[in-house]
Amino acid sequence: MVRPFVRYLTRICICLVLVTAASGCVRVRAHERENLAKRAMTNDRDPGEARFGQHERGSREGADGGTGEPGGGCGCN
Amino acid sequence: MRLQLIAAAVAVCAVTFAARADGTLSMRGVYYKERATRVTQPMLDGAFEVGPKGLLTAHLLVDSITSASASSGAADAVAFNEKRYEVGAGYARQVLPTLRIGANGKYSTESDYTSSYIGARAELELAQKNLVLGVGGGITEDEISAGAAQGPAVPTLACEPGQSLPSCTLSTYSLFLSASQILSKNDVLGLSYDMSALRGFTSNPYRLAIAGNQFLPEHHPEERLRQAAAISLRHYIPRSATAVIAAYRHYRDDWDVRAHTPEVRVVQQIGDDAEAALRYRFHTQTAAYFYRGRYADTMGIDGFVSDDVKLSAFRSHTIEAKLGVLGRMFGLENRWAGARFEGILQYVLQDNRFGNAIVAHLALTLPFEY
Repeated sequence: MVRPFVRYLTRICICLVLVTAASGCVRVRAHERENLAKRAMTNDRDPGEARFGQHERGSREGADGGTGEPGGGCGCN
Repeated sequence: MRLQLIAAAVAVCAVTFAARADGTLSMRGVYYKERATRVTQPMLDGAFEVGPKGLLTAHLLVDSITSASASSGAADAVAFNEKRYEVGAGYARQVLPTLRIGANGKYSTESDYTSSYIGARAELELAQKNLVLGVGGGITEDEISAGAAQGPAVPTLACEPGQSLPSCTLSTYSLFLSASQILSKNDVLGLSYDMSALRGFTSNPYRLAIAGNQFLPEHHPEERLRQAAAISLRHYIPRSATAVIAAYRHYRDDWDVRAHTPEVRVVQQIGDDAEAALRYRFHTQTAAYFYRGRYADTMGIDGFVSDDVKLSAFRSHTIEAKLGVLGRMFGLENRWAGARFEGILQYVLQDNRFGNAIVAHLALTLPFEY
């Protein structure tokens, strides 16, 4: 059980390192981030909306979880 | 003396100014309806600045569930009503110019399920905030009973083979990693990895599986390792004030459930005071290795039986429309000018026994100073 987990995690870490390293030469200065500061570009979902979506998907789909806060009611294990 | 008084007055003004803080209070009501279940959920969210470097968040919600589903405890398909209460709080603090740490917890209770979560996270900003790395984890302790059963007696649960108790426990250990990289003035890339390990009672206390010619209580493995990796790209089009967000999530676990979930959102700015968004999400998953619609005999698959539709192979499509408007668009003034009114309508099509679902949100977010 542990080996596939480690293999998957290793692949993810390699992807993370490659992508961040490949984009490491990009420098967008603070005054150039006007568009990036728009609501849609930062987080277009409120905490309540995101929380309900997570809970709703958790009761309908077998592929939820891993969101940092699993479990939590509705008797719908 | 006069200079000292002026200096003191300036100092008091400076402290008073520094003591002013911002906060937001958000009220949201959600309605969810599918074939056998209806949920209404009012909730309250607050965010409060604590000093120049701290942020306190809190939420409170009530789930009101009306269901005729046997998996919720209904007997003979007679609908019943149940309430779930949840409270949560978190605190985050900028401890260094580039490092932010935080912790949060939540508690949820209903007649047949209590859940407590505690977790922590850290975010590190690098390369002049072009790159943000995040790491976090948490522990959830759940207690499950069949307290909502509608029959004459509350059934006991087989927490482990040969052991029948009024309630069982489930522990979940979770970990997540994330990275967000600015690619240009109009593009942001996001990557994340989530893992959770479950230990304990993972079955539903009410569901019965058809095995041979009889009904058997659902019995799932006591351990599960779940992993998900996600990538997202946000692109802003300045000429039309449009944001396009594309995301993809891959999920796998050791019950052999594999899922692919691509999603696209388009957020259109309408003037300075409104935005409209459309979203499409596709989800497809394989079945758990021990899931069958019907089992040939009482041995099930490796001794496990399940009637959980979530563990079957299925597909779903989600279509969503969202409108957010600021109060000044309606001519409101002062604090109410910055209030945000929001409405969401969502339709879920799924090819399984749950049937299609409709979700609606109405929300008001009010900024304030204190």
